[in-house]
Amino acid sequence: MKKITSISLCLALIIASVTGCENELPTFYKFTSYEFANLDEDGGTWQPILFASASDIVIAAPSAVNSPEYQAELSELKAASQNLNGSQADAVDYWTNNPIIRWNEIALELAAKYNLIPPPNPDGTYTLPSPANPAGPPPFPFAHPPYTSRMLAYLSVAQFDGLIAAWHYKYQFNRPAPYETDPGITYAYAKNSLPSYPSDGAVIAIVSRDILKAMFPLEHDYLNGLAEEHLNSLKWSGSNTTSDIDAGTAIGTAVKTAALARASTDRMSSAQTPKPVSDAIKQAAIDRFGWWWDNQEAPVRPVGLTPLFGQVIPWNVPNIVDVRPVPPPAPGTPEFEEDAQELKNFAKNLTVEQRKIANWWSDGLGTYTPPGHWNRRTKEYIVKYEMNPLRAARTFAYLNMAVMDAGIACWDAKYYYHYPRPIQTMKGFKTILGTPNFPSYTSGHSTFSGAAAEVLAYIFPAEAAVVRDWALEAAESRIYGGIHYRFDSEAGITQGKAVAAYTIARAQADGADN
Amino acid sequence: MGSSGWMYGQTFSDAIMMKKKEICFAIMYDQGTWDEYWEGTNLITNENIGTFTRSTFTPMIAYGITDKLNVLLATPYVSTKSDGGQLAGVQGFQDVNVALKYEIIKMDFGKHRVSALAVAQFGTPMTNYLSDYMPYSLGLGTQQLTGRAIGQYEFNKMIYLRASAAYVWRGQTEVERPYYYNNGSYYTTWMDVPNAVNYQAILGGWLLNHNLRLEASYNVMNSVSGDDIRRWNMPQPTNKMESTQAGFFAQYYLKAIEPLKGFSLMAYYNQVLEGRNVGKTTEFGGGITYQFTF
Repeated sequence: MKKITSISLCLALIIASVTGCENELPTFYKFTSYEFANLDEDGGTWQPILFASASDIVIAAPSAVNSPEYQAELSELKAASQNLNGSQADAVDYWTNNPIIRWNEIALELAAKYNLIPPPNPDGTYTLPSPANPAGPPPFPFAHPPYTSRMLAYLSVAQFDGLIAAWHYKYQFNRPAPYETDPGITYAYAKNSLPSYPSDGAVIAIVSRDILKAMFPLEHDYLNGLAEEHLNSLKWSGSNTTSDIDAGTAIGTAVKTAALARASTDRMSSAQTPKPVSDAIKQAAIDRFGWWWDNQEAPVRPVGLTPLFGQVIPWNVPNIVDVRPVPPPAPGTPEFEEDAQELKNFAKNLTVEQRKIANWWSDGLGTYTPPGHWNRRTKEYIVKYEMNPLRAARTFAYLNMAVMDAGIACWDAKYYYHYPRPIQTMKGFKTILGTPNFPSYTSGHSTFSGAAAEVLAYIFPAEAAVVRDWALEAAESRIYGGIHYRFDSEAGITQGKAVAAYTIARAQADGADN
Repeated sequence: MGSSGWMYGQTFSDAIMMKKKEICFAIMYDQGTWDEYWEGTNLITNENIGTFTRSTFTPMIAYGITDKLNVLLATPYVSTKSDGGQLAGVQGFQDVNVALKYEIIKMDFGKHRVSALAVAQFGTPMTNYLSDYMPYSLGLGTQQLTGRAIGQYEFNKMIYLRASAAYVWRGQTEVERPYYYNNGSYYTTWMDVPNAVNYQAILGGWLLNHNLRLEASYNVMNSVSGDDIRRWNMPQPTNKMESTQAGFFAQYYLKAIEPLKGFSLMAYYNQVLEGRNVGKTTEFGGGITYQFTF
């Protein structure tokens, strides 16, 4: 009996070790609202991206703080911010005083949700996602890396321009925070002297909701619900009165309209070509170089991913051919063979550490993609450096413009050179990562990462060495994974840096770093 | 996505006990193949996988601590490959599994016998294999604790009916990517592997003067939670895996042949009939056991 008792005790301990002490599985970045390192009082003078200046967006002057209508708003706000129920208090904690972070996470979540490659039909053909029939199947969009880079760029640019306008009017009208006018109002976040009209939170909620609705047409209900909760949290937290929020909504609406107007004419709609166009692009490469890339899936995908993404209008690179790299070594040359042999050696003797690097940066189908990975790290730095929402939006805007431009430049090279992947040039070669449906040269991960790291190194100089090491690791990861030659990755890093230089030059001139 | 080493699992759930100081060594080989799998509840083919093969080689030991309490140990070595697509297969030791089997009841009614047993089984990865490389991964990459109850009724010492039910507690598996989607974002390298229930029903019989044992089995293994494989996406350890399979099993004891006394030969066949987020596996296996007393 004693034996049975000790055995059952032992079992209980094992159950506890299997099911207890489990790691927390975070679904969003856990941070508390913080005191901003700086308020950027001159933020309204910064150069926006889509507008000549902040004053291009016009909002009405607010009513005076002692006016009856504003006093009525304050009473309403006092009532709304008192006696919060559990879910209201959770919403206040979740959205924080830098809700840029949350909308960026929501964007990444939708990218991961929609980053699914269209499956073959039973007859071996493929149906492509169509914005005209978003429900599909397959659903629209396929949020692959170029799509996601563009989605994030429009989101971040619209947030940035909206907040420049918000700052402009905040310091023009100087309406104090509600809790300053009425000490009976409790403010949930760290106090500061930022004027409250128009509401920066409302600008963020409206532009984010509307850009993401345009990018993810099947998610309107989800996004409306999130924006509604976010707008409500501005009252629950005692941040803004109704007129603050209405003015923020007006700015948000004006900015998203400009952003979506640009998006509708940036040539993305023709990036995914019909087969004859795709075949002509391939033939041009055969004529120029004598090599070509073919999809290796079964059934074969007749067209690669977005062959004309390289012709999408960049944000900051005037002439995309200026950042096109020199041709890669031709298959069969000693230079090629050296890098091909390296891949075979890794396939045979990959260390666990190398395997981990390949998977860590893989960011493949079903994930937030490499642009998403860099946004996630950027978010963490924004909180670490206690950036205010305007600074945070600026950081994301330059990051994501550079990343989208990197994608455009990379895709230009991919389809200009139309270079075959390792699984095409080396018969029977097996990999630990799936090979994507587009040509090899230059490596997308390397180009995205090279550009992202340079922008982050500019904005967070103390992290420069770290982020540049990450970019090199991301580039290396594709070689470990067996899906890129070393010359793809090296050219990608160089190309990404060249692209980022244009974005950084723009950032240096926008007035924020004076 | 796919069971491995069904045979040792079977041994861990039968009603056979070693007597005190008896020891049994077994070596088993198992090959499961499929060319269709359930993506969620949709049965599909994928030419980029083609025919998938999982081979499992399992050395195993069972020992009688007492007549009523046995300990079992198994260390499967798994290799995986597919004949379509370009993804590399993997091989290596999977999980070490240790079980204690306790005979609670053994009652004879004339020529009939009723027995009841309880098994506690613990498994943990032996190597740092990557669980997040399905369907090629060697295993689920997590600790697993199984609590099982077994009941058997034997008629005339010839035919028996056995049923068992088990609950499998599974922990988390550490993967190599810092983010994954599981009906929402997860910013972590850890994945929850769903717990599972297992039910078995077996009709067995002894033939050839108790030298041949034959069994027909029906086996259900269902995760109690988890997500579905998304359309044309890779599976992952968080998936809700369900499989219902039927099988046949034969074991021949070489008791009558003096130099081979103590040896037995086994062979089996299993077919997955219904599933969710698993391959529609056809499995063949066989093995040899050697039993003696210290």
